[in-house]
Amino acid sequence: MKQSFSKSIIQSCLNVPGPRRELWIASLGCLIGSTLLILAIQLYQDTSSLLNEKEVAKNYFTLNKKVEGGALVNLGKNERTFSTEELNEIKTLEGVQRIGGFTRNQFPLTLYIWPSGKVGLGAAAKTDLFFESIPDEFLDFVPEDWHWDENSEIVPIMVPKFYLDLWNFGLAPSRVEYPALSTDAATGMPIELFIGKNRETTLEGRFVAFSKRINSVLVPKNFLEWANKKFGQPEANDFLFLWKEGSIEGPPITRSTLATLRNELEFKNWEISPLENPAERSPATQALLEGKKKTGPSRIILEIEDNPSTSFTSHIQKKGYEINREFPEQDIIKKVIQTLFLGMVGIGALLSLLSITTFATSFRLVVAQASEQAKNLLLLGFSNVQVSHVIFTRFLKLFIFILGGSVIAGYTLKSLLANQAIAYGITINSGISFQTFAYIFVYGLIYIFINQRVIEKSVVRLID
Amino acid sequence: MLIELNQVKPEPIPKEMVARSDVWGTRLNIEPKSFTLISAHSGKGKSTLLHLLYGLRNDYSGEASIDGQSVEKQEMGDWTRLRSQKIALLFQELRLFPKLSAQENITLIPESNPQVPSDTEMAERLGMEEFLSKPIENLSFGQRQRIAIIRTLRKPFKLLLLDEPFSHLDKKNEKLSSSLIEEIARANEATVLVTSLGESPPLPFDRTLSL
Repeated sequence: MKQSFSKSIIQSCLNVPGPRRELWIASLGCLIGSTLLILAIQLYQDTSSLLNEKEVAKNYFTLNKKVEGGALVNLGKNERTFSTEELNEIKTLEGVQRIGGFTRNQFPLTLYIWPSGKVGLGAAAKTDLFFESIPDEFLDFVPEDWHWDENSEIVPIMVPKFYLDLWNFGLAPSRVEYPALSTDAATGMPIELFIGKNRETTLEGRFVAFSKRINSVLVPKNFLEWANKKFGQPEANDFLFLWKEGSIEGPPITRSTLATLRNELEFKNWEISPLENPAERSPATQALLEGKKKTGPSRIILEIEDNPSTSFTSHIQKKGYEINREFPEQDIIKKVIQTLFLGMVGIGALLSLLSITTFATSFRLVVAQASEQAKNLLLLGFSNVQVSHVIFTRFLKLFIFILGGSVIAGYTLKSLLANQAIAYGITINSGISFQTFAYIFVYGLIYIFINQRVIEKSVVRLID
Repeated sequence: MLIELNQVKPEPIPKEMVARSDVWGTRLNIEPKSFTLISAHSGKGKSTLLHLLYGLRNDYSGEASIDGQSVEKQEMGDWTRLRSQKIALLFQELRLFPKLSAQENITLIPESNPQVPSDTEMAERLGMEEFLSKPIENLSFGQRQRIAIIRTLRKPFKLLLLDEPFSHLDKKNEKLSSSLIEEIARANEATVLVTSLGESPPLPFDRTLSL
C-alpha cells in the first residue's frame, strides 16, 4: 500500500473562501490586540526597571535655612549654612536615605547664550548666573556628556527642563531675536562663560541635558571645585563691621582688607563684629588670627524613602528649615504611566481574547463551508487530523503573518515612544526584550492551541 | 472479511419490513471472499446496511461485527484505519469532488493498492481514458459513476461495499465494470456486498438477500 494523494489536491478541494468579513474582523482584532499586548508588556517592563532604579524610586527634597529680612539686611551677610552637627542630625532622621550638599560658585559669573548656534551670530542672551553642583548620584540621570576635566573644551551644564519652557513660552515670543528652541537645538547652543568681575576668563559651555528633578543650574562637581579654587573669591561672604572708638566705621570690609590695616597705630584697639550680629564684637587682632570659619553647605539635597515621616516633618519645623520637594510629579507621572501600561495589558489581553473567539468562530465557519468536501475526505478514509491540518495550516499562516505584523508594529511604536521619552529625560531601549518575545511566544502557543482544538473538533463533528 | 449480523434492526425501518427481511432481525453471516447481492426496492435499508458496516450510523439495535470486531465499539481512529486499508465503499451519491479532474478524484484516497491495474488501464477498460483530465462537474452521472468505481477499486480493501453501483450505466458498461470489480475483488480476496433495486448485476454472486 502506498500514499497516492498529493497534499496540494487536498488543500485545493478544501479551499473555500471562508467568511471574509469575520476573518477580517478577527485579523484586525488579533493585530491590534497582539500589538497592544506586546507594547504593554514591553513598556511595563521598561517602566518597572526605571522605577526600580534607586534614584527614581525615591523622593528627593532640598533643605535650606530660611532667608529672612530685606536686601539691605542680607547684603554681605554670610550664608546661613548647615553645621556638621546639624547635618549629622538630619542624616539620622526617619526615612532619610542619604544627603548631599550643594556646592556653589564663589566667583562672579556671566553667561552669553547664542541661540543662533554660533558665537557672534545674532543676538546673545546675557545673564548673570550661578552654578551649583551636587553628587552625581542625586541627578535624575547622568547625561552622556556629563564629564569634565582640565583638558575639556566644554563645560557641561544641566538646567531644569522648565527653564527651556520659560524660554520658549516666555522669552522667545516676546523677543524677535530669540527663536524658540527644541531640546536638540538648545543642547547645540554655544554658551560663553565669563568668569570674574571684569570677565577675566572665558570658558565655553553647553546645555547637555534638562533635569526634571533638580531645580538649579548644575555643572559637574569636579569642575566647580576646580573653578572655585582657581577663580574663587573666598571672602565673598566674609564681610565684617569695623568698630573704632565704640562706633561702626564705614561700610563692611573683608577680612583681607582688615589685614591691610594691621599696621595702623590704633589697630590693636579696633574691634570687629559679624554682619548678622553687630553686637558680637571682638578684637580685630583676634579676627585676623582666627581667619574665616570653615562652613558647611547652605543647601542640601535629601533622598527620602516614601513620604516624609511625622518625626522628620516636626524636626524640620522645629529647626525652621525650608523644605522643597524636587519635582515629585515626575514620579507620579511614571506611576500613572505604569498603571496605564497595566491597563494596556488588560485591554490587549481582552482584545486578544475576543480575537481568539472571533477566529475560532470564523474557522468553525470555514469548516462548515468546506463541510461537504471535508466529510467526503473523511469518508474516503482520511483521518480527522489530516483534514483539520489543512484548515489549521491556513489559520496558522494567517496568524503568523498577523503576529509578525504585531511585532513589527510594536517595535515601531516602541521606538517612537522611546524617542519621545528621551525628551522627558527618560531613557528606555528602543528594542523588544527577550522576555517580551518569550511572553509573546507563549501567547502565540495558547492562541494556536485553542484554534487548533476548535478546528479539530469542528472536523470531527462532521462524521461523529 | 466475515460479517456477522445478530438481530440487527435499524430504527428508521418499520417493523413489518423487518419481519419480512432476510437481513434485519435475523442472525446472518456473510462469509469471507463471498459475493452477496442485497436486493430490495427503495426505502428498505440497502444504503443503511452498507453505511452501518462502514461506521456511519449507529441508530440500530442488535449486534453487527466484522471479523469478530463489534462495529459499534470501533473508535474514530479504528474507522479511519478500516476505511483507508480494509473497507471500500462506493457511495450511491458517489461523493466525488466536482471541481477536481477525474484523474485527481481517482488519486485522492489515503492509500492505494499497488496490485491493481494502473489508473489509465482501468479508465481504458471502462471507456473513460479520454475523460480523465476533465473536471467531474463536466461529466455525466454515468461517467462519474465509472470514475467513482475506479477510485473505490484503487483503495486497498478486504470488504467491498457497492451501493447501486450500476444505477446509471448501460448494459455494456455494467458488464465492463462488473468484470473489473470481480477481477480486483478476487485478487484482494475480498468479501463483496452489492445492493441493487431488483435486477441482478453480472457478478458471480454466492447468495442473494432480500431486505
